[in-house]
Amino acid sequence: MDNIYKPYLAEIAEIIDETPDTKTFKLKLKNPEEAKAFTFKAGQFAEYSVFGEGESTFCIASSPTRPEYLECSFKVYGKVTQALKRLNQGDTIGFRGPYGNFFPLEELKGKNVLFIAGGIGLAPVRCVIDNVLDWRNDYKDITIIYGARSVSDIVYKQEIREWQSRPDVKTVVTVDPGGESDGWTGEVGFVPTIVEKIAPSAENTFAVICGPPVMIKFTIPVLEKLGFKEDNIYTTLENRMKCGLGKCGRCNIGNVYVCKDGPVFNYTQLKELPQEF
Amino acid sequence: MEEKIINKESLLNLCKDIIADGNNLIAPNSTEYVLINDVTQLTLESTARPTKASYKTFVFPKAEPVIYYKRGKNDVQLLDVDVNQKRTVILGAKPCDANSFNILRHLFNWDYKDEFYNQREKNFIVIGLMCSFSDEYCFCTSVGSSPVSEKGSDIFLIPLDENNYAVRIVTDKGKEFADKYAKHFTQGDKTKSDEITSKVKHPETAFDSNQVHEWLGKNFENPKWDGVGDLCLSCAQCAFVCPVCHCFDIVDEDYSYTEGRRMKNWDGCQFGHFTLHASGHNPRDIQGKRYRQRINHKFKYYVDKFGEILCTGCGRCSRGCAVSIDIKEIVSNCKD
Repeated sequence: MDNIYKPYLAEIAEIIDETPDTKTFKLKLKNPEEAKAFTFKAGQFAEYSVFGEGESTFCIASSPTRPEYLECSFKVYGKVTQALKRLNQGDTIGFRGPYGNFFPLEELKGKNVLFIAGGIGLAPVRCVIDNVLDWRNDYKDITIIYGARSVSDIVYKQEIREWQSRPDVKTVVTVDPGGESDGWTGEVGFVPTIVEKIAPSAENTFAVICGPPVMIKFTIPVLEKLGFKEDNIYTTLENRMKCGLGKCGRCNIGNVYVCKDGPVFNYTQLKELPQEF
Repeated sequence: MEEKIINKESLLNLCKDIIADGNNLIAPNSTEYVLINDVTQLTLESTARPTKASYKTFVFPKAEPVIYYKRGKNDVQLLDVDVNQKRTVILGAKPCDANSFNILRHLFNWDYKDEFYNQREKNFIVIGLMCSFSDEYCFCTSVGSSPVSEKGSDIFLIPLDENNYAVRIVTDKGKEFADKYAKHFTQGDKTKSDEITSKVKHPETAFDSNQVHEWLGKNFENPKWDGVGDLCLSCAQCAFVCPVCHCFDIVDEDYSYTEGRRMKNWDGCQFGHFTLHASGHNPRDIQGKRYRQRINHKFKYYVDKFGEILCTGCGRCSRGCAVSIDIKEIVSNCKD
């Protein structure tokens, strides 16, 4: 019997401590045949589980162009993430996915891409960044603006260093005022302020934005002021989910199931939805 | 399709045969649908009150394992769950309950197919019974059904007199069943049963579901929602007794230090924690929003998505509500 609730088993190949309360797991599906057949697209998500504790929903943070590992990053908040935190390299977790839609990377070809992320919101954006960078010749200017509350809250430090070292990417990292430490050479200021300061051209540009609701709320007007069209601003929603399959009933916004019709939406689509997210 | 007749004694013998053949037989007693082992317990009254809950749990159980797990030192072993559903006959389904699978089937089969549901539904034979019960909570006629609706039944029974039922064969599945147990039936015709069904009292139509759908589309923001929200206790009994509510949770349950099972358990959209994010943010943070979701899901979203109203008009949610929230009244007021 086909069982849509049955997870793959995945081994934790490596654990990266991003911040004191955020970790990244590099995962490998344990069954070689399943691993070989597995494909996904940037923007899709999965259900990760600790057996005995339950499942939790995160995006797949690694790029499909780098299939060696499936990566997820999580901040320790609830029961499942606390249990995930206690695991070690070599331990087994459950992985159910990929689910949902994905970023329109084909449609973005030939365009400039502006990435804006805040906090752990860099995870779903990172898979798109790495994907775009691996297909670098297909895209024009690439700008990354990332903000964290403080220097110690910055995630993906290694990836950010890589992006900063590339001459064909403009990477700006900022921390909230008061979050800077000695020797901080990046920007200081909230993300909307920095976006306004950098003022990327809206001409032929798509924006991909993800972060805390308050960051998105104040950044969208800045983008609109810069001339970005609502159709050209993409984000990914992270509603509470259980099944990921469009059945369990909790992630819907109006008649849209975030787990099936999303999680990736452009701003025009979001404005048409009932404002309940 | 064709029509047959069965008398009460033959019906009891049919039930004995169903059980003797190793099938499950489910029928309503005065309060709930139960598994019947002794046919003398059977009551089959078209005037009976609806049971407290529908028989949804027999296809979509209130709690069911979807996988078993065994934890080793670093490893985990998964063991499959076999639904292995026996042929199950529901005898005496109210038309409002009989219609439930037609509605639920869409949800469990769009894109991803939930075989836990499908395997059970496939093995069900629904024998509906004309309904002569009606109270202030019934509104099947407002959601496209009626006390004599055969929708969702494989076989439909109509009481002809003290001792006999007309047996309408509605589906191929029903025909196959009737052929198998042909010895219990005699030939009938529709003249008398039509006369009886034409005289059944229908609940008055309370609202026009198309107009409700249209109103909901324009009234996501409306102070009426907060009004209902203030009354509601968020207990979700309305979802649990509903024939078509289907929200669920996925929860792990250990039953020893190393073993356990992953469960799919009923949940309800009226619970505050249902949509609560780990961050503390909650898109449906107050009861008014949750009730708005309940009504919209039933009369708008599900209609938009699957072309069916997510409600059979049975009135159970209202009959059982501790604070007397009446869905019929609320939906009837979904107008300017």
